Amino acid sequence: MAKIIVVTSGKGGVGKTTSAAAIATGLALRGQKTVVIDFDVGLRNLDLIMGCERRVVYDLVNVIQGEAGLNQALIRDKRVDNLHILPASQTRDKDALTLEGVETVLNTLNKDFDYIICDSPAGIERGAQLAMYFADEAIVVTNPEVSSVRDSDRILGLLSSKTRRGERGDDPIKEHLLITRYNPNRVDLGDMLNLEDIREILAIDLVGLIPESEAVLRASNQGVPVTHDDSSDAGQAYADTVSRLLGEDVPLRFHEFQKKSLLSRMFGGGRR
Amino acid sequence: MSLKVDRDGMAFTFKGGMLPMTVMELTSADPERIREQLAGKLSQSPAFFQHTPVVLSVERLDEPHLALERICAVCRAHKLLPVAVRGGPDPVKQSAWALGLGWFPPQEAARPRALESVPAGDAGESLAEEEAAEALAAPAVAAGGRIFRGTVRSGQQITAPEGDLVVVGAVNAGAEVLAGGSVHVYGALRGRALAGIHGDSQAAIFCRELRAELLSVAGNYKRLEDIDPRLLGTAVQVRLSDDQLSIMSLD
Repeated sequence: MAKIIVVTSGKGGVGKTTSAAAIATGLALRGQKTVVIDFDVGLRNLDLIMGCERRVVYDLVNVIQGEAGLNQALIRDKRVDNLHILPASQTRDKDALTLEGVETVLNTLNKDFDYIICDSPAGIERGAQLAMYFADEAIVVTNPEVSSVRDSDRILGLLSSKTRRGERGDDPIKEHLLITRYNPNRVDLGDMLNLEDIREILAIDLVGLIPESEAVLRASNQGVPVTHDDSSDAGQAYADTVSRLLGEDVPLRFHEFQKKSLLSRMFGGGRR
Repeated sequence: MSLKVDRDGMAFTFKGGMLPMTVMELTSADPERIREQLAGKLSQSPAFFQHTPVVLSVERLDEPHLALERICAVCRAHKLLPVAVRGGPDPVKQSAWALGLGWFPPQEAARPRALESVPAGDAGESLAEEEAAEALAAPAVAAGGRIFRGTVRSGQQITAPEGDLVVVGAVNAGAEVLAGGSVHVYGALRGRALAGIHGDSQAAIFCRELRAELLSVAGNYKRLEDIDPRLLGTAVQVRLSDDQLSIMSLD
């Protein structure tokens, strides 16, 4: 039995795909057999972030429409054995997905994998609702700014009503908050919402906090999920997030402004 | 929701409502006795006799034929407006209808307590005072109420059309909570709260932390920018006084 985790946010550009790729990679590195599915039909990105764009032959829509088998469409990751990618179609739109088709795909993957990560498209329409419909857990990706927090709040409402668990009245979806692009320096200056405010408004458990980091952009452009960059702060923060998803108790890092030491202030030209 | 009905094309809309209503429970069928004792009441509390609608309850009478028309005339002479009769045998029902009054079935199970302490020797009647009539309405409102536990999230609408709505949690920005009665929020109120959506001007809004986008009681509303900034973030109650929304601190 696989755990189905949707990575969602409502708002676009907050780091859903980056997070889905980094978390799927992290789970696989920890020995979990993991598949990550791109639900963003028409705006395919996950394959780029995962660095497998040249190996895409068949995609999710082909599988749902019976034009290819699931094993033909699954791409094995080059770097981690346990990791597979199911890409989206770039030429179709989200109407090509059906609820029954998605269910069949997930049921088949369910037998072979420990974790199924669904990378949701932005918005609250059909594509996003299909990505979340069968989820057991949800990672709600939020930036420290008001519009992102409000959209995440909206998504949390949909997770409790417009999903299989919500409609059947089963145990609710386990909701995790993942804050990305957090910059403690700018939080202190009042440019960004602080961690506590976001947690208070959204009222769900924090699973991770990813600092704003150059490593993320670099990783995206190189097609290497940032989890592989274990010297970077963002890479370490995603590794912490994966540990928490696996039930470990890991202290929070990177949420406080790092005051420079006396020496670096003396030699750093007095700049903060 | 009835709020969203397009009223332009409609001559009327039907709405459910729970109104406070004075029940005049008759223990005597003699119009003259009723007249004497009403006259005594009138001198005690003239404010009550202002064309107040009353329901005549004849459940405790055991008379197949009532001089209903004379009793009504006595009431009207004292500025009480009988609007309906409750209980009684079939002839009573027929004569109520003939007089243009409504008829309600008897309320054997849920008989309201006497609203007034009846002095010994004056046990022939029982009449409600104005405050007591409000007290009577309270349990009826509670019956249609609703308790919501958890965060009301952006885009969600939680409604208690016939009573009070209690939210044990926060109401976030972009969420909407509506009630026919009052709205109670045991948390931060960041969204929109509408109380008394069927026009109950006695309804109110209570919250632990005021950050509301919109507050409305019986159609009178205030937006966030109309709210005194000093009240933001505090525990308040919001109610109507002289057709104006007034926001008062609870601390």
